[in-house]
Amino acid sequence: MSALLEIDGITKVFGGLRAVSNVSFEVEEGAIVSMIGPNGAGKTTAFNCITGLYPLSDGTIRFKGKKITGMPPHRITRLGITRTFQNIRLFSFMTAVDNVMVGEHSRMHAKVWDAVFRTPSERREERDVEQRALATLRRLGIERYADAYARNLPYGLQRRLEIARALASGPSLLLLDEPAAGLNQREKRELMELIAELRSGGLTIFLIEHDMRVVMGISDRIVVLDHGEKIAEGAPQAVRANPRVIEAYLGSGASEMQVS
Amino acid sequence: MPDEVTESAVPSDVAVTAPDDVAAEILGVSDDAEHEETGVLWVIALSGIALIVCGWFLPWYVELTANGIGFSPMDAVLTFTGIGTACLYVVGLGMLGLIGGALYDVFCLATHRGTPFRFSNQRAVIAICGVAAVTAISILIGVFHEEPLFGNLSPFAVTDNAVWMTLTGFALCAFAYGMRGWISHHGGIAFTAVAFAVGAAFPMIFNQSADFVGWGARFAAIYVLLALGLNVVVGFAGLLDLGYAAFFAIGAYTTAALSGPHYGLHLPFWVIIFLGAAVASLFGAVLGAPTLRLRGDYLAIVTLGFGEIIPDLATNNVFGATGGPNGLQAYPASFGSFNLAQLGAIPANTKYYFWMLLVLVALVVVALRNLERSRLGRAWVAIREDEIAAAATGINTVSTKLLAFAIGASVSGFAGAFFGAMLGIVAPENFQFAVSVTVLSTVVLGGIGNIAGVAVGAILIAFLINWVLPYMTEWTTTLSRVTGATQLAGVDFSRYQYMFYGLILIGIMLLRPAGLLPSRARKVELVAATESETESLAALQGQA
Repeated sequence: MSALLEIDGITKVFGGLRAVSNVSFEVEEGAIVSMIGPNGAGKTTAFNCITGLYPLSDGTIRFKGKKITGMPPHRITRLGITRTFQNIRLFSFMTAVDNVMVGEHSRMHAKVWDAVFRTPSERREERDVEQRALATLRRLGIERYADAYARNLPYGLQRRLEIARALASGPSLLLLDEPAAGLNQREKRELMELIAELRSGGLTIFLIEHDMRVVMGISDRIVVLDHGEKIAEGAPQAVRANPRVIEAYLGSGASEMQVS
Repeated sequence: MPDEVTESAVPSDVAVTAPDDVAAEILGVSDDAEHEETGVLWVIALSGIALIVCGWFLPWYVELTANGIGFSPMDAVLTFTGIGTACLYVVGLGMLGLIGGALYDVFCLATHRGTPFRFSNQRAVIAICGVAAVTAISILIGVFHEEPLFGNLSPFAVTDNAVWMTLTGFALCAFAYGMRGWISHHGGIAFTAVAFAVGAAFPMIFNQSADFVGWGARFAAIYVLLALGLNVVVGFAGLLDLGYAAFFAIGAYTTAALSGPHYGLHLPFWVIIFLGAAVASLFGAVLGAPTLRLRGDYLAIVTLGFGEIIPDLATNNVFGATGGPNGLQAYPASFGSFNLAQLGAIPANTKYYFWMLLVLVALVVVALRNLERSRLGRAWVAIREDEIAAAATGINTVSTKLLAFAIGASVSGFAGAFFGAMLGIVAPENFQFAVSVTVLSTVVLGGIGNIAGVAVGAILIAFLINWVLPYMTEWTTTLSRVTGATQLAGVDFSRYQYMFYGLILIGIMLLRPAGLLPSRARKVELVAATESETESLAALQGQA
């Protein structure tokens, strides 16, 4: 497996705070990689750096071997990285299907003049995109809510809709920021099934998650951050037993207690 | 497993297999919106009734003020001769039928019997007959213009106006009544059709008051263009622009520079309007660029600055290009060898001029409607809702915002080109901050984000400035003469223009905060805001 995403020594400084400090790791193609760490460890900041929302202070990020550091977010999306947000950021007052159609934006070609004159190619594209958006909603099991406003969907379905929107741009790497947060047990199980299904469809998935049952259940590999630094990386079982990880979560001395 | 028990109590346990009633509730808002779309119906019906009332009372009013012999459909009813009388009886009887039908509907609604408010073929036939009758009469007016068409009384200046107004009113009422089912489902199309039909008939309705057509109607059409353009920036993309008059000015100055004597270029007008729009959109992009990182209040302040800079540059005759405070002379619309100014008397000229403006408005409406539904329109809404999510979803926020500014400015450039040709002299005083505020208030009044809504807002405001306020001055003067109340004489209501804007805006915000014809999304936003306010209020009271 070759590395799809190569993170090489990235650093992000806010004023005097080093939110992410010299972190390096790789995400292999076709893998499910999780990033865990206590609150404030810099996980979401790392996501924001990868998707181009924050400019890097130092380091480089390569995607499919191409340097994406310094690219604006929409170009990174076009290359094939999309994400969801920790606190859901749907377009609340657009319908579900419109949300997904916005997701298709980067794959569409219609220019201003095509839209003004409604050229045949523009109409065809709009029709195709709507069909594709409905198919994406169907794939996530929320097709019946296609015409509902996003804000009116229940929380669990809003999470699904956000994943649908992210999938609409046809990504090869999907970043999920705490996808299980606020879901009940059944929804978490459904989410895990969904992630596994997406991976079997050829998608690489990189997620931040707090729920250990989810993380341990689906991850091929885990990266652990604490205070902006990478403290561990490896297979779930190895990370679970790593004393530094236990210390980061439970405080020093906890690793001995765990053993006893 | 204790955590599982607590978590299943979370109310979000609706999941994918929600029961039908829950799904209906989630989808419910769209049903409400559909039900609410009778706004257009009301606009059409009320304007129809207003036209009929005006048509019937106009001659009496003229008699009162100008001591002329008024002639109205009322007179036609009383004189029993002439083809026009017969036609009016036909239309009038049709109207009685419609009123009867309306009463039947009220009866159905009150007693819960029968099937009111349904589209039916008979009503469609009635509506088509109404329109056909109006068309027939309009042709007759043209053919028998010199004949005593409407009875034996010799036609006076307002005769045709009154008849035209009444007939248009009848037609609108018939349309609103007969096609109401269709109208309430196709509000946008119905409104557009009616607006352009009435707009095209407008010079005929007011054919004997050339001033009103010449100034008022063109002014209204120009304000519609301005409102449509600002709606792209404020309504679609959600960028509050307080300096919109700057682009209007640029369009007008471009016209003056290319048509007037200042540079000696006398380009044909149909070239100039597109150049005006192009230059304005270029400035739109240039002025938009520094504001890209700004939002909300900050953006508004910076655009306010641009709105001040442009008239200031013009006043100071920058590069000798603007003629300073006296302005630049612009020649009236010339179309190369085909010169409208030579077609005849001034009213005829203004009529064609107005129709041309109307065609341009139609084209702009179609173009903006197409844009709104396109990839770009969705991107604008996405940026308005959540810029970060939009960027992460693959939208180039920089170019999308710049396009909003440029497209909004280009529409304003069209308006400026017509305005320049209409004024004759393009001077800085025509493009002060007040213009930006007026256009913004038309957008807010009509319904931010809704094309039909902002057009209604612009027409109403133009009507207020050019018709209601000046005539209120006359009416009160007449009233003071009749009643002897001397305090009323000489009150110039036009000076209170902004007070009336203020009152209208306050009224709208209290009664219909999303505007007269709100866009669907805005309506939902408001409902959501009210709900969350009520919830937090309830929570507060619960705690107390």
